[in-house]
Amino acid sequence: MANPYHLDESSESAFKNEYPPKIEKVNNETVKIYVWELPVRIFHWVNAAAIFALMITGIYIGNPFFDSMIQGEASGFIMGWVRYIHFFSAFIFTANLLVRLYWTFAGNKYASSNLFRKIFWKDTWESVKFYLFLKNKKPHFVGHNPLAQLSYWVVIGVGSIIMILTGYYLYTEPQPESFLGKLFQWVPVIFGDSFDIRSWHHLVAWAFMAFVVAHIYLSIREDYLSKNGTMSSIFTGYKTESKDSIEDIKDESMPGEKNDKYYM
Amino acid sequence: MKKQKTIYESALDQGISRRDFLKMCTALAATMGLDFSQTDNVVEAMETKKRVPVLWLQLQDCTGCSESFIRSTHPKIESVIFDMISLEYTEVLSAASGVQVESNLETVIKKYKGEYILAVEGSVPDNAGYLMVGGKSAKDTFIRAAENAKAVISYGSCASWGGIPAAYPNPTKAKPITKLVKNTPVILVPGCPPIAEVMTGVIAHIITFGEIPELDVAGRPKAFYRHRIHDKCNRRAYFDAGLFVESFDDEGAKQGYCLYKVGCKGPTTYNSCAEMRWNGGTSYPIQSGNPCIGCSESNFWDNGPFFTRRAKVPGTQITINPDKVGVAVLGATAAGVAIHGAATVAKKKHDEKIRGEE
Ligand code: HEM
Ligand code: HEM
Ligand code: SF4
Ligand code: SF4
Repeated sequence: MANPYHLDESSESAFKNEYPPKIEKVNNETVKIYVWELPVRIFHWVNAAAIFALMITGIYIGNPFFDSMIQGEASGFIMGWVRYIHFFSAFIFTANLLVRLYWTFAGNKYASSNLFRKIFWKDTWESVKFYLFLKNKKPHFVGHNPLAQLSYWVVIGVGSIIMILTGYYLYTEPQPESFLGKLFQWVPVIFGDSFDIRSWHHLVAWAFMAFVVAHIYLSIREDYLSKNGTMSSIFTGYKTESKDSIEDIKDESMPGEKNDKYYM
Repeated sequence: MKKQKTIYESALDQGISRRDFLKMCTALAATMGLDFSQTDNVVEAMETKKRVPVLWLQLQDCTGCSESFIRSTHPKIESVIFDMISLEYTEVLSAASGVQVESNLETVIKKYKGEYILAVEGSVPDNAGYLMVGGKSAKDTFIRAAENAKAVISYGSCASWGGIPAAYPNPTKAKPITKLVKNTPVILVPGCPPIAEVMTGVIAHIITFGEIPELDVAGRPKAFYRHRIHDKCNRRAYFDAGLFVESFDDEGAKQGYCLYKVGCKGPTTYNSCAEMRWNGGTSYPIQSGNPCIGCSESNFWDNGPFFTRRAKVPGTQITINPDKVGVAVLGATAAGVAIHGAATVAKKKHDEKIRGEE
């Protein structure tokens, strides 16, 4: 019998060395699947908090909408503090992403994503049809569906890279000779001069906000349609799924025991 | 042929005393940002080096760079053009005109091949027909002059980036001169115009050290373009404090608050205005209450309006208010979500009903 966990059969499993999730039996029909492991959940909320802090402070930096209370003399440090918080959040944001990148390889099968497979794009297309209320053959996904994965790649992946490159370039503009400054000296080759780089930084910031609206909506929608606890999953890690939905991992042993078969 | 004089000798000929000569060297060293102890190097260079032949070409320009240049105060412009350099060709300053001058240009290119410095202001049109000087294509003249020069100094934003002639819609398809120079080193000295002392300082550096100054990634001398206006601005304390001019006639404007919110481009502009200032160190725009318009940056004319903060749409010459556009995009997303959400609920109800009937 063909191995049900063969790589090409699911757009959720991306790489060979990843392991299946922990599964707990609820009753004969339902199981609880540990989808988002702790590092993923910590990443998620640190990331969200950092982005909100960065956006609020960033908007102030771009357009300081309130003034210092002390008029007349430059004794306050409002913009100074706002910039300081922006930079502090930026460092956390960056470190957090690096940890998540590591977890892409160290985590369970829902922690990774591989765009370089035909099945991924086939399922993406089915997902697009699903969201457009068209007839589709979208399978049920326990993790993120490929369209969601794609949105994370584009916004959290590419978007964050743009924010980090442009952000650190702006950050090191006063000290081009510093170590960090030298690291980002080449950024103008891609993003243009100082004015262009600031523009990129500001515009992509808004792309993040648009993502957040769509992302929260789609999470709620998924929860509403599949009643699988998507919303609570990002807090607890568990989704409640019918046994059929884990067809591809069904002959796996129950919690704790490992099955070497899945480590091809 | 008579022996060429050193810079010092020609200064003496001008009736300049040794004392004044040393003063000039000290001022020069300071302008170039050298340590006081290095003044000796400058004195020695001026005593031993010959005047450097300079050709000055004007392409698509407004002569503003020449105007700025002749206002250099330390070193005084007289000592630059009579002692340090030998200005062999210039349309603005030469007394002679016509065939005489034009033929001299060709003579100098041949006679001082590889020795002369080519100073250029203005951009080059793609179609040579847009710029003919003395009946010849200025583009061709420039290419020939640049090929045989020791170095090219690109004075002003037009020569360096394309500048105002290259601003949207760029009718002449103007290009920066760097696009046409292959094997000669180019020093970019952008600004609209550049600061006079920066212009002379670059020449002084080449004479003193016999080589071009250290350049940044964009090709500008680090000594003058290392910092943004914003990093050295006299109003910076107000920026950090969060005190901003809201309009040009408010109390903040009188108090000298930061000009960020009235469109100051200081945070994105590399130039030494805040340190060297203008007109012999008298003042500079921000000190006088006008926001920086970013004149030394590429595309500064298209990064406007001058008195509003904007963001540029990448790859275009259009600037927008990023927060207005951002909020609009967010609104559109929210509207899309609302419609999609309603449709989702309706479809689910419908599907359930059908399933119930089956
Ligand atoms: C700045 C804000 C946010 C960002 C950038 C963000 C980003 C992400 C990312 C990258 C993932 C994938 C997790 C991973 O594999 O590492 C994710 C998943 C998830 N997020 Fe967020 N998130 C944000 C805010 C929120 C909020 C406010 C909620 C809910 C109230 C939420 C609910 C969820 C849920 C339910 C999932 C799992 C969705 C799935 O099945 O694909 N997120 N989010
Ligand atoms: C999702 C992440 C981020 C968002 C939403 C964000 C947002 C913003 C916004 C809206 C601005 C104002 C731009 C303007 O002046 O028009 C800004 C400025 C800035 N950001 Fe970010 N940013 C993010 C990440 C980063 C990162 C990773 C860094 C790296 C250190 C960074 C460093 C800066 C700097 C240096 C400025 C300019 C501050 C100044 O000139 O005073 N940002 N940011
Ligand atoms: S006036 Fe301009 S350059 Fe000076 S601190 Fe304010 S924004 Fe920066
Ligand atoms: S302050 Fe700005 S606009 Fe004014 S001369 Fe200097 S660089 Fe140009």
